[in-house]
Amino acid sequence: MTVIRVDKLSKSYFVPEREAGLSAALKSLVRRKTREVKAVDAISFEIGAGEIVGFLGPNGAGKTTTLKMLSGLLYPTGGAAHVLGFVPEKRERGFLTQVTLVMGNRNQLQWDIPALDSYDLQRAIYGLDPAGYRRTRDELIELMQVGDLVRKPVRNLSLGERMKVEFIGALLHNPKVIFLDEPTLGLDVTMQRRLREFVAGYNARTGATVLLTSHYMADVEALCKRVIVIHNGTLLYDGDLTGLGARFAAYKTISASFDQAPPALDGYGEVMSTDGLRVTLRVPKAETSRVTARLLTDLAVVDLTVEDPPIDDVIEKVFNSQAVG
Amino acid sequence: MNVIRLWLNFVRVGVLGEIQYRVNFLVQLLQSAIALATALIVLALIFSYTQTLGGWTGPELLALMGVHTLVGGLIHMSIQPNMERLMQDVQNGTLDYALIKPADSQALVSVREFRLWQGVDVIVGALVIGYAVYQLREIFGWQQALAFAAALGCGAAMIYAFWLILTTGAFWFVRMENLLELWQGLYSAGRAPVGIYPDWLKYGLTFLVPVAFAVTVPAEAVTGRLTLETLAGAIALAAALLVGARWFWFFGLRRYSGASA
Repeated sequence: MTVIRVDKLSKSYFVPEREAGLSAALKSLVRRKTREVKAVDAISFEIGAGEIVGFLGPNGAGKTTTLKMLSGLLYPTGGAAHVLGFVPEKRERGFLTQVTLVMGNRNQLQWDIPALDSYDLQRAIYGLDPAGYRRTRDELIELMQVGDLVRKPVRNLSLGERMKVEFIGALLHNPKVIFLDEPTLGLDVTMQRRLREFVAGYNARTGATVLLTSHYMADVEALCKRVIVIHNGTLLYDGDLTGLGARFAAYKTISASFDQAPPALDGYGEVMSTDGLRVTLRVPKAETSRVTARLLTDLAVVDLTVEDPPIDDVIEKVFNSQAVG
Repeated sequence: MNVIRLWLNFVRVGVLGEIQYRVNFLVQLLQSAIALATALIVLALIFSYTQTLGGWTGPELLALMGVHTLVGGLIHMSIQPNMERLMQDVQNGTLDYALIKPADSQALVSVREFRLWQGVDVIVGALVIGYAVYQLREIFGWQQALAFAAALGCGAAMIYAFWLILTTGAFWFVRMENLLELWQGLYSAGRAPVGIYPDWLKYGLTFLVPVAFAVTVPAEAVTGRLTLETLAGAIALAAALLVGARWFWFFGLRRYSGASA
């Protein structure tokens, strides 16, 4: 079943623009020049129920804008989106009670009071029945292992602790669609892993659909089978995470171990690292088999592996190349 | 969920938050006492030279002062903090969390903040009005009480709508904190009945900025000088402003850009 359907969705902004300096600033006081920026430019995709999809792209690619259009916060300037059969920007109650949004580094819980009090407020706003609400709340508190943290004023919590109680607050109404915008931003590795495990577990248990943006590839690798890559507002790739490497990596890495120090290997490919008797080479994808064969015939190779480059490198390459079609 | 219940829930949270800061209560008490004392001294000073000011006697002006304090307290307790927060939220893109809630967006942004301790001014204002009413007991009956309640309600509604319209401007202009300063200046002009001002200021304070309706008109009700026409006008204008503010709010909301993109 399709939960999210996006059809040629676009959003442009008019942003003020001026040269640097005082005189230009004064000029723009009187006459303001604006430029149209296409944050999202006619992207289309569909997401099925229960999927966890990673939304990748460099800063300013249009990820957050898309996420906010899908959650009904921003009005699109073109195209259409449907989430759970609703048009998000109409912000109908039936829609809003079924979705949630978690943004890293932003908090929705009241700063001065314990999270528990804020949860009660959420209950009132969402109109949840008290017994069901308490059950969900206590279950989430248990799963997140936050214990008594929900009784401390939110301002006294660490960033990681705050993110955990934020997650609970965002899930009290059992949303069917979860938008996560950089949820692990600024968290330490342990906390990142804890949140990832939580999201994966939540998805498995409830079948909620998750759309996630993150700059930490570890988040995406751990959670998402499918990724959507956007750059400059347009869709570059939509498919398996593993396929992303196959499609965009122009290189493969060959690691070879030798029983004695090998001669210089520059003739075979770009030497990326040498670690004792182990050398890692980068070679163009098309030449992988030829270089491998040459290495094996020319030298006494003990062990040899051929790999796609780390997904991080692939992503970086995708973002840096403007001409990808 | 209806607006009243939404409001009560946020009031509860606001009270929980404010109770943590008891010093604020003492500061507010002190501030209200000083404001009241200076206003009383000025009033006493004026009436040591004259019997009436623009046709208002001492006790009548005291009632006006009470209304001014009470309405000011209401504004500081609820309207201004909510609108300031809205302005910041539009600036920083943090309105997201309000918009994602399954509640009427206008209602939600209007009730999120509640400054309990500013309520001191509401109580002080009410006490001053009560004292003035005691002095004016010959002319104050239940009709006046009803008219006062209606006029006060209309005045509060107009101030709210006026603020919401201005604040919604933040969707276009982003930074507008200076409006607050402007407002403070204009509101302090309401400490005297607007009738004593020159025409341009009088009309400005009536129709551009609804200070006259928020302060002078309810005070007129207390002092028995409110005409039915004025009250009907106040009700009509309040209704029109509320409808206009709501329309403008949804119009501005389409321009919300979330600030992060």
